[in-house]
Parts: sequence; C-alpha cells; structure tokens
Amino acid sequence: MKLIAHSYLNRKAAFLNGVKVAHADSEQPNDFLKTYYRELTIDYPKFHKMDALSKSAFISDYLLEPFYADLVDLENKLQLVFANNDSSKQTDLKYIESYEINNNPSPSLFVYTLPNILTGEISIKHKWYGENCFFIQPAFDAQFFADQAMFSFLRGNDYCLCGWVEMNGSENEECFLFLLEKSADTFEIEQLTTLLKSYRNE
Amino acid sequence: MKCYLKYGALISPLGTTIEDHAHALLSNNSGIKQVEGSGFNNENWFLGKMNELSGDYDALLEKALGSLESIWDAEILKSPRTGIFVSTTKANMRLLPGDTFESTRTLIKKELHQEVDPVIISNACISGVVAVNVAADYLKAGKFDRAIIIGIDVLSDFIIYGFQSLFALGNEVCKPFDAERKGISLGEACGIILMTNEREEGVFAEYIAGASSNDANHISGPSRTGEGLVRAVTKTLERAGMDKTEIDFVSAHGTATIYNDEMEAIAFNRLGLEQTPLNSLKGYFGHTLGAAGIIELLSCMISMEKNTLIKSLGYQQCGTTQTLAIVEENREKELTTILKTASGFGGGNASLILKKVQ
Repeated sequence: MKLIAHSYLNRKAAFLNGVKVAHADSEQPNDFLKTYYRELTIDYPKFHKMDALSKSAFISDYLLEPFYADLVDLENKLQLVFANNDSSKQTDLKYIESYEINNNPSPSLFVYTLPNILTGEISIKHKWYGENCFFIQPAFDAQFFADQAMFSFLRGNDYCLCGWVEMNGSENEECFLFLLEKSADTFEIEQLTTLLKSYRNE
Repeated sequence: MKCYLKYGALISPLGTTIEDHAHALLSNNSGIKQVEGSGFNNENWFLGKMNELSGDYDALLEKALGSLESIWDAEILKSPRTGIFVSTTKANMRLLPGDTFESTRTLIKKELHQEVDPVIISNACISGVVAVNVAADYLKAGKFDRAIIIGIDVLSDFIIYGFQSLFALGNEVCKPFDAERKGISLGEACGIILMTNEREEGVFAEYIAGASSNDANHISGPSRTGEGLVRAVTKTLERAGMDKTEIDFVSAHGTATIYNDEMEAIAFNRLGLEQTPLNSLKGYFGHTLGAAGIIELLSCMISMEKNTLIKSLGYQQCGTTQTLAIVEENREKELTTILKTASGFGGGNASLILKKVQ
C-alpha cells in the first residue's frame, strides 16, 4: 500500500503533509477548531452544529481534499477507518448535564454521543457511500490501522482514509488523518508512528 | 480460509442459555415489559429489561464470558491465536468520567486469561454485524484461527432519556413493520458468537461474506431511498458470489420507528427481496444497540438449526408503502442461506450472509 497524504491538528496548529497551514491561540482551548475553520476560510454551515470530535475530523479531512481529485470512484471504493480511546466522552458528559443539571435531555447532543457520527459527517460531505468502521483503541497503533487497510483492500476497496481522533478535553487533543491507497509498494508501517511523533513534537 | 460459526453465549430478558432462547423464540415470547418510572418524566416505557444484572455491564459481561469454558477449553480461550472482538456502543457508562471501555479490557483478560487487548467496535447500531465482518477479516488473513465475538449493551438513563428526547420510543411493545408501529422498545443483552477456521464440533453455519455502506445522507435520520442499505447488501451478494434468489430468509433490522422500517421496505424492494421471508427480532428483545447484531445472528442460527422461520413479533398489518414477505407465524422451512442486515445512527448500514454447513 501507499501513503498519499496526511493531516494533523491539535490545540496549537493544523498541518498538511507536515506543513503548518493554520495556527490557533492555545490559551483558548475550546475555540481552536473554530479558529481553523475561519483561518482556512471553510464554508460549511453544518460544521457549527457538530461536536468537537466531528469538527476536528471534518477540518482534517478538508485539508486532504486537494488529494481526492485524482482518485477514482471514491464514492464506492474508499473505506473510513477511525479510532480513539475516549469515544465521544466529552459530548457524553455534556449530554448528561443537559438532563441532570438543565433538566432537559438534549436530542442534538444525544445524537453526537456515538463516535462513528464523524464518519457519517465525512460521508455526507463528500457523498461517499463506502464502508465505515470506528474502533476503540487504548492508543494510536500503526500496525492496527495498517491491518485494517490491508483487510479493506482484500475486500475490494482501493483507498482507506484512516483517522486517530481524540477530543477528550485534555491537553493532548489531536486528530491525525492519513490516506492510504492499495498498491503493490511495500509500506513501512513505522512511518505512521514517526509522523505522529513528529507532529506531537515527541 | 473458511469461517465457521457456533453458539457462544446468550443472556437477555428471555433467558441465560441458547436453549432458553430457542424455547422463547419458538414460543413467540417477548422479553419486553412495561417498566414503571423509567422515563425522564417518569413515563412507563416498554423495555427489554433483565430481572437480574439489569444495567450492570461488568456483571453481564463476566457472566457471559464465564460460560465459554464449557465450549472451548482454557488453552483455546487464552491462546494468542484466538482473537477477541467486542461490539458495544457505550460499554460501562457507570465508569464516567473515567474510561468506559477499561473494564471491558480488564474483564476479558481476567476471565479468558488473554494477554492481548480485544478489538472493540463502536459503530452505533450496526456494530454487531460489523464486528462479525471484522473478525472474519482477521481469520481470512490468517491473523487468528478463532474469534470470540461479543455483543453487549445495557440499559441506562443515558440511553432511555436520549431516545425519549428524539421521540423515538413507542408507548407499547414495539411492532416492527406494522401499520400501528409507534417506535422503539429499548433492550439490553449480551451475546457471544464463536468463529473458527476449522470445521469442529458444534459448527453449523459458515460465514460467507459481508459489507458495510454509509447513506451519506443524515447523521440520525434513515435515508428515504434506502441507498446505503441497498449498496451494503449488493456488495455483500457480490462478495459472496451469490444471487438474491439464493437467499432463503432475511433477518432485518426493523426498529419499529416509522422512518427506519419504511427505509428498509424501500431498500428490500429495490433489491428484489420483497418476496423473501423476512423478520425483525426487536419484538422479542427490544433494540439492544451494540448487542443487536450479535444476538440476532445467534437467533438466526437457532432458526437455521431448527429449520423454522420465526414469527416477526408485533406484526399484523403492512405498515410500509412497499410490501415485504414478513413472517406472520412460525413455519418450517429448510434454511440454507440467511442475509442479516443492520442500519443505524451515523448513516451506517451493514450486512452479511451465513450458509448452513451441510
């Protein structure tokens, strides 16, 4: 398989293929996704209804868009493989507040209390009808994603958009997307770990 | 590489063994009852609520895992060649604000003496069907020889109030595909399917193929055209190298909401499966979310073993704009090939085909 492109964002900045494309003021942790939306001059009104998990995946996917144009039949041949450790925890806690404190269970928060909603948002954005799966993993595991991509290609898909997306209210919030293509090339799985480490400044 | 299926465990309001469930399903007994004060404003919702262990995710998981030793010996359960797969939407919500998935990993390691973390799938209501498809990927690629596929979710205020806030709950036992259907009855359960690449004792179904697809339409509302479900089933048939005429029976999702059931009726008509016997098992268990795909596949295996189509409980009169061949009474039928489908939040659809081992 082959790595076509990758994007990354955390509270401080957003990157495409290692190049910084937007900067956020880290003193306002809750607003960094809005900052990227504005800085990147994205126009997608549904963005504002999304929770942080979907917003971060949406922006990271937006950055990869220039690379989609040359690919064939993404509508059917692209699989989404996403994972994180904390599922939709931040939204879960906000939704619990809506009925425990505000005495009014919020349907608009409840629908985002599933992590795979973000794969729905990305599918809607691009009109992609391909396969989707969301996994809960204790930490980013390059081998796991490479395995899922290999299985996906064996099943007949040609592309895999993979994502590690953690929006859990901590300092370590991040979203790392990488687009893999089926090919005979040997793939160095470790390059994914190296990339993420360099994005994290580890 | 082939993937064969056998019974693991099944715990629901209908019983704690496969035999309990075979009896209940063949007797058309529902596990759904009215539960006083279960709603946000103390409404008395109809729920597939267990008498013991209700809401206790860890205890339910522990109990289900505990029954596996009578099927596979300890060496197999702890083997690194045995993969563990878990389908759950919310896992243990009592652990919030901590890690709700932590006890799943700890309990599996403790009960099965496994050293490797399970693969956890959290993909809303299609999680169970997707989990079986993912487990089959690992076996077909030779990564594992066997898989333990667990589907589990329990009732909580979180889930009940949420579906209530969406006006998705019916004020009666749910009636999938019926003209009078009013919405979902929620439920809780744990089911375990065992998958093996060897045709060992106890296997009687083979996993043939599966697929998923997104509606690319709405995050919580079903597609009006059934597009995603049509594509998932079409892809599944293609991968199986089968024609729709080879399907003997469809185990549908059928939640009993107006829009979901209508979407499925449209999709199955578009697929040319409108004459194929079809049921929804939600009238027996309620909607058990992450457990649904697994417990419904176990029920399909019971149907297959007994060569009996099980009545789609709650159905009396066609309530969709396009008709389906809903199973109105139990009836004997040689069941060789079964199509299982699921649809859910996030616009997901998934399906798979099982074939009886002759």
